[in-house]
Amino acid sequence: MTAIHEHQAQVDSPAIAPDGSDSPVRVLVVDDHPAVRMGLRELFEDQPDFVVVAAVDSADAAMALAEREPIDVAVVDYQLGSRNGLWLSRKLKRLPRPPRVVIYSAYCDGPLAATSVVAEADGLVSKGGVGADLCEAVRAVAHGQVRLPTVPPALASALRRRLDAEEQAIFGMLLAGIPAAEISLMLSISSASLESRLWTMLRKLEALPTDSMAVRRARPHNGRRRGTPI
Amino acid sequence: MSAEPSQRTERRRYVPLLYRVAGVNALLLFIAVVVTIAVLSPKRVSSLHTDEEAIVLGVALVLVVALNVYLVRRVVRPLEALTALARRVDLTAPGQRMPPASPTSEAGVLSITFNDMLSRLEAERREATGRVLDGQEAERLRIAQELHDQIGQELTAVLLALARVERRVPPELRQSLLEVQDAVRGSLEDLRRIAVELRPEALDDLGLESALAVLCERFAERSGLEVTQWIAPGLPILTPEAELVVYRVAQEALTNVARHSGVATARLELARRDDVLTLTVTDSGRGLPQGHRPGTGIRGMGERAALIGATLAIEDAGGRGGVRVRLDVPLDEVEELEEFESLDGATPREVGQAQ
Repeated sequence: MTAIHEHQAQVDSPAIAPDGSDSPVRVLVVDDHPAVRMGLRELFEDQPDFVVVAAVDSADAAMALAEREPIDVAVVDYQLGSRNGLWLSRKLKRLPRPPRVVIYSAYCDGPLAATSVVAEADGLVSKGGVGADLCEAVRAVAHGQVRLPTVPPALASALRRRLDAEEQAIFGMLLAGIPAAEISLMLSISSASLESRLWTMLRKLEALPTDSMAVRRARPHNGRRRGTPI
Repeated sequence: MSAEPSQRTERRRYVPLLYRVAGVNALLLFIAVVVTIAVLSPKRVSSLHTDEEAIVLGVALVLVVALNVYLVRRVVRPLEALTALARRVDLTAPGQRMPPASPTSEAGVLSITFNDMLSRLEAERREATGRVLDGQEAERLRIAQELHDQIGQELTAVLLALARVERRVPPELRQSLLEVQDAVRGSLEDLRRIAVELRPEALDDLGLESALAVLCERFAERSGLEVTQWIAPGLPILTPEAELVVYRVAQEALTNVARHSGVATARLELARRDDVLTLTVTDSGRGLPQGHRPGTGIRGMGERAALIGATLAIEDAGGRGGVRVRLDVPLDEVEELEEFESLDGATPREVGQAQ
């Protein structure tokens, strides 16, 4: 883990470095803020066991890159302009060799923990933490661990009410850490069907990006509508 | 809201119209009779006839006065009621009106006009309040986004840079660096808290129930106030405006509990009774102070409530002490017909992603 590997041959090894192997963790940084992107790149480049494959500013650029090059861990900012980090997480997980995904967000609270679970992200790290926490989380998920905060029970039950019965079952299993492949076996539904279920659930639960949030709030006010006829 | 009645209107400094009309008419009749008798037939004046004429005159006087009183009363009564209503009318509690009148008299027309004026004032006020609150929410959203997108991101970048530097600083500077790091993290934390208070993100994203759950959670974290939640299952989805009102009232009420009640627990309930959705926030603290006057926060809650046709009550919570804030939202006006509000924010490309 401590040796510095910089030769290109490492890039062609399996997507997830097995435990104990000393191949470096190939990291993809996705953040639309230049200073944060730069900071993440430099932080990871300083780690002897990390290799930064690229640092990109959008979900589309991240997908294009991940389709070309094997990635071990994608560190994804939650807010990415029009497509958020959860969207990217679900897309990355559909790749033939899916990378592990760490969502890096300012708001690491219950709602995002719940939606991260549905987006099949492996980690959720606060932007308010120290750099060492982030590096530790990247290492942990690279080795197959999960770093998601727990969803408070009151919030989980409030969220469940937005889902139908089958979605609630899927949500419960995801919260319990059961991988998607096992869920489709247990519920005897096809993986394609589970896939579309997960998209639906994410739309129902998902925190929408801020621009559509503003649009939604800009609708005319009830009071105004009622006030006009006089 | 209603101003104190001015000195001029409060004390009556005039002789009421009723007495003036009746008095003047009686006097005129009296003079007319005396003049008739004295001028037109002075020779017929005799002591015998005088008594009879005095009786006729007296009866006529009484009749005139009675008729006057009756007619003038009919005119003046509604005016008195109008004055009383004008004194007590409160635009924050809309719906107070004169009883229906027909436009067959000046007073009737005045009543109708007065009711129309109240309707107009209430509408204008509702519109103005709505505009102010909309503007306030938009401004809060803008500030919250700016805080997050600008300062928050830059502080994050500073933290990342500090994390890098940390490995290279000489040991004697290490302590100082850690202090700087802590200070930046503290600022970032404050900034986030302010942004969240300004703008309940969870409400936009996840709906009222989840947002209330997150709100209670945050209160527990930040102020140590333990909030028991009871949210009835199967509640309808409200319009965004109504959700925001319910959320802001809960937020303000919990803030008040944390600040003033002196206890560490509160109970938040959201339930439906027939066509009314009721939010109650109850604490078991020291209750409302004597001669309690609502502060700006509570008045703001009331204004918001009025905007969606809801009513707000702040009362002592039974015999145990404490305060209960209760918001009743009539559902016929604020129920959202769409199944999931957040879907209209999803663009077709997102909908088409499932494979």
